[in-house]
Amino acid sequence: MLHVNNFSNAILSEIDFELVKDENLIILGSNGAGKSTLAKVMCGIIDSSSVKLFDENLHVISAKKRSELINYVPPKLEIFDEYISVNEYLQLSKLYSHVSVDEVIKLLGLQSLKDKACKTLSSGEQQLLMLASSILHNAKLTIFDEPTANLDPQKTLKVYDILKSESIQNRVIITHDLTLAYKLGYKILYMSNGKVEFFDDNEKFFEKSNLDKFFGSSLKRIDNHFVVNI
Amino acid sequence: MKYIFIALSILLLLVAPFFGQMEVSLSKINELSSIDYKLFWDLRLPRVVVAFFTGALLGLSGLVFQSLFRNPMSTPFTLGVASGATLGTAFAIVFGFISFVAVFGFLGAIMTIVVLFVLTSKLKGYDTTSLLLVGIALSFFYSAALMILFYLSDETQSYEIVRFTMGSLDIVGLLNTLPVVIVSILLLFIALRYKDEIKILLTSYDNAFLKGIEVRKINTILLVSVSVAIGVAVSITGPIGFVGLIVPHILKTLYKKSADSLLVPTFFYSGIFLVFCDLIARNIGSASDVPIGVITSFIGGPFFIYLLIRRKRV
Repeated sequence: MLHVNNFSNAILSEIDFELVKDENLIILGSNGAGKSTLAKVMCGIIDSSSVKLFDENLHVISAKKRSELINYVPPKLEIFDEYISVNEYLQLSKLYSHVSVDEVIKLLGLQSLKDKACKTLSSGEQQLLMLASSILHNAKLTIFDEPTANLDPQKTLKVYDILKSESIQNRVIITHDLTLAYKLGYKILYMSNGKVEFFDDNEKFFEKSNLDKFFGSSLKRIDNHFVVNI
Repeated sequence: MKYIFIALSILLLLVAPFFGQMEVSLSKINELSSIDYKLFWDLRLPRVVVAFFTGALLGLSGLVFQSLFRNPMSTPFTLGVASGATLGTAFAIVFGFISFVAVFGFLGAIMTIVVLFVLTSKLKGYDTTSLLLVGIALSFFYSAALMILFYLSDETQSYEIVRFTMGSLDIVGLLNTLPVVIVSILLLFIALRYKDEIKILLTSYDNAFLKGIEVRKINTILLVSVSVAIGVAVSITGPIGFVGLIVPHILKTLYKKSADSLLVPTFFYSGIFLVFCDLIARNIGSASDVPIGVITSFIGGPFFIYLLIRRKRV
């Protein structure tokens, strides 16, 4: 489904991994490890000939075809025009989904924001907007870059439900939330200093030896929850 | 409110040809033998037509540049395109290519665009601040080159160069307005053709890329179209600054809509704005017309500073 073939640049070195059909992925790693850079390589924003998606080389396929295969949801909404509204933004995002804009607005509880300018939304609201946009885009594979970073507990729960639902086809989720990573149960890729340090099943990653190796004493496990040991 | 503005604008277009140093009476403009006939059809009407379409072209160009370069201060003028055209024209005047003045002006504009293009492709992701600085650097360079040309020129040539840099809407005969009319309508047509793409580009370049837009291709088409249009306009009217800066900005704050929905309003009201400025230019002095570039720059200069201050505050 996705194959990154020995990619290196100034930040990443020798990234090589493959996801088979219908495999979802969680990418973990310290700040500045290169997670977002890897995401940009995977979706083609950083151009390379090392990425294969659904047996097509990302470098050579048409822009249209690429948008059908992959989408990337950045951690922060970037928008230049100060007057584009939530509704307009979502209309622009509707590409391959059968769900209507209004249904998605309802799903994420954005009704009251519909006519507001995207620029004026809070960071949490912008995050929900981007999730709504990705549902409407409905690419075969969507990369979410820290989709719950700015959300309150209720919204985090809602986004968690949507992330694992049928609304999204295949997904790669970049996060720092280990509880989320654990609950989703997807394969884990752990990065550090631009290198892949771990790429295997979820259960294996959460073995005590690995957690000690990657997080040391900063992490505390309470049943199935992982909290920062303050 | 909107309709009042449209009505007033159309009224302005209708009465503009009748005001000037000499009065033209409505009843005589169809009398072939009268002075009024010649004055109206050969001078006044062509002038209003050129003012409208030049203004429209400059405004639309400004809007497109501001949208693509992500900076409210980038227009073909702030980026040095007009200075390039001026230099080309001065070159033609001094070195005796007087009948090819328009061609040289056009080449000067295009040359500048090529330089900007080469530099933008080196600056990743349209680094707009650097681009503006490049524009300013280019303008200085052109001014220096223009000084050399002044140094080399005789008195008549100097006078012609100075006249050109002030901008002029003097044009004789309706037929001669055709280049500007055609080019500005073509530009509007192209901008409208890519309206949807422009709208996605207004979110972010990455988002447009992810939505399957061929960002580089669309950018190139739009920037080349604007540059050619500006080249044509400047070679005919001389550099008329600030229209592309003021009108799109005012419309944005009035309409409160994204730039893609302002293409037609910008086209229309920029045209009206220049017709209005020209009306002032033609009636303010007693002996001869004040150059149009003087009027727009008098309004535009302070406005530009206002924009700068407002941006710094936010």
